[in-house]
Amino acid sequence: MAVIVDRSVLTGLSVKDAMRRQFIRLPQTAPIDHTINYLIKHKANALMTLDNAGQPAGVVSKTDIMGAYYAGLPIMSPLSDIMVSPPLFCQLNASLDAALEDMRNKSVYRLYVQDGQDGDIVGVLAYPDMVGLLYRYCHTCAQSRHLRAEASAPDDTVSRLTVKEVMTDNVVAIAETDSLVAVMEALSAHRFGAMLIEKNTGHVPVGVVSKTDLILAYKHGLAVDTSAREIMASPIRVCREDDYLEDAIRKMIFAEVHRIFVQSVGTEEIVGVLSLSDAARIRSGSCHACVSSRIKVETDS
Amino acid sequence: MQMTARDVMTTRLHTLKSDQTVADAVRIFRKASEEEGRKVFGMTVTDESNRLIGMLSMYDILLFIRPKHIHVWGTMDDIDISGLVENACDRTRTILVGDIMSTDLISVTPDTHLMILLDLMINKHVRRIPVLENDNILGIVYISDLFYNLLDKLSA
Repeated sequence: MAVIVDRSVLTGLSVKDAMRRQFIRLPQTAPIDHTINYLIKHKANALMTLDNAGQPAGVVSKTDIMGAYYAGLPIMSPLSDIMVSPPLFCQLNASLDAALEDMRNKSVYRLYVQDGQDGDIVGVLAYPDMVGLLYRYCHTCAQSRHLRAEASAPDDTVSRLTVKEVMTDNVVAIAETDSLVAVMEALSAHRFGAMLIEKNTGHVPVGVVSKTDLILAYKHGLAVDTSAREIMASPIRVCREDDYLEDAIRKMIFAEVHRIFVQSVGTEEIVGVLSLSDAARIRSGSCHACVSSRIKVETDS
Repeated sequence: MQMTARDVMTTRLHTLKSDQTVADAVRIFRKASEEEGRKVFGMTVTDESNRLIGMLSMYDILLFIRPKHIHVWGTMDDIDISGLVENACDRTRTILVGDIMSTDLISVTPDTHLMILLDLMINKHVRRIPVLENDNILGIVYISDLFYNLLDKLSA
């Protein structure tokens, strides 16, 4: 009987191939204020908290710190007041596919990596790490645009994935005069990492407020009724919907952003958003040849 | 003879404020280096009451400049990275000292023994330690001063 096996370029790889070995650990008694410094300086989205015995106690992400800002918690509150507990783990030698599935099922963005059931924590696995792996895979693939260019391959017949095929078309924007409270509520309601800010009239995009901007506002003592335009980043980083996925990923990697807004061809209207997580979820390279290779028909011998 | 932090600390203090930008901090580093006649790579950060609230070192600034995804493209030799350094420096210039300073503070008193200082610097991987007395900063001990102090004794 023929069996359809769903494969991806990640098939056969293990967690240790994609994880990041450097991660931040802080005592759960550390104040939120100091924690923001670590996240900003190390460009991290989350850190692990340790209990009094030095054992993993929980995870604090930028989302949790944004929640503390929204709730009016004093910035010197300990991390134990806001951490999500317990941290979730995967094994160093576990399959990468299985770890991704676990992240999706549990709706988490990262898993800490253990070496053995009672072993040390040796790293962290997050969606951007997967993108890095896929990007490197594409880069060395014989079909990659750069290798074909090197080989002076004249006819690029490979159908490449475009941003439009992977982006999320649910773009929500709020007005530049709306408060940070409104920004945080919208981010939370839509589970977005950043909010598009537009002029009060005419739906003209003028900036973006990310969770990083919000935790810095919290650190700087800005009131939550401050308007979004006070902290937004401008100009907006954009790509076009017909751009190749690999080009958009490269743009995000270099600009150090997790997401990029997508303009329609011609009108420059914002029609979508592409995040590194979106790119990771397709679990494939950036051309259709790669996607079709995911489906393999196996027959019983 | 008892050798303590007081014997090796410098009392010429250069400090930063948390609301200064990294660009300001770099200018102050340069000025301090000229005045000291040696490269100054780190400074204390104080509040409005001149109390120690953090330390900013060259390493803190370099951590922030380091590209976030360098592990992805760092090994790719064909990637066009023109403008990368300029972009990183642009981002860093405007960040505030208080946003990236180290807040895990290690300090000693003027009476802390030289060997305790040495042990702290090695174990904690720090090259300068502020000397406090009743929450006031009296001075700072640089690892180079500690080393040259010991060198004098070694060569005696």
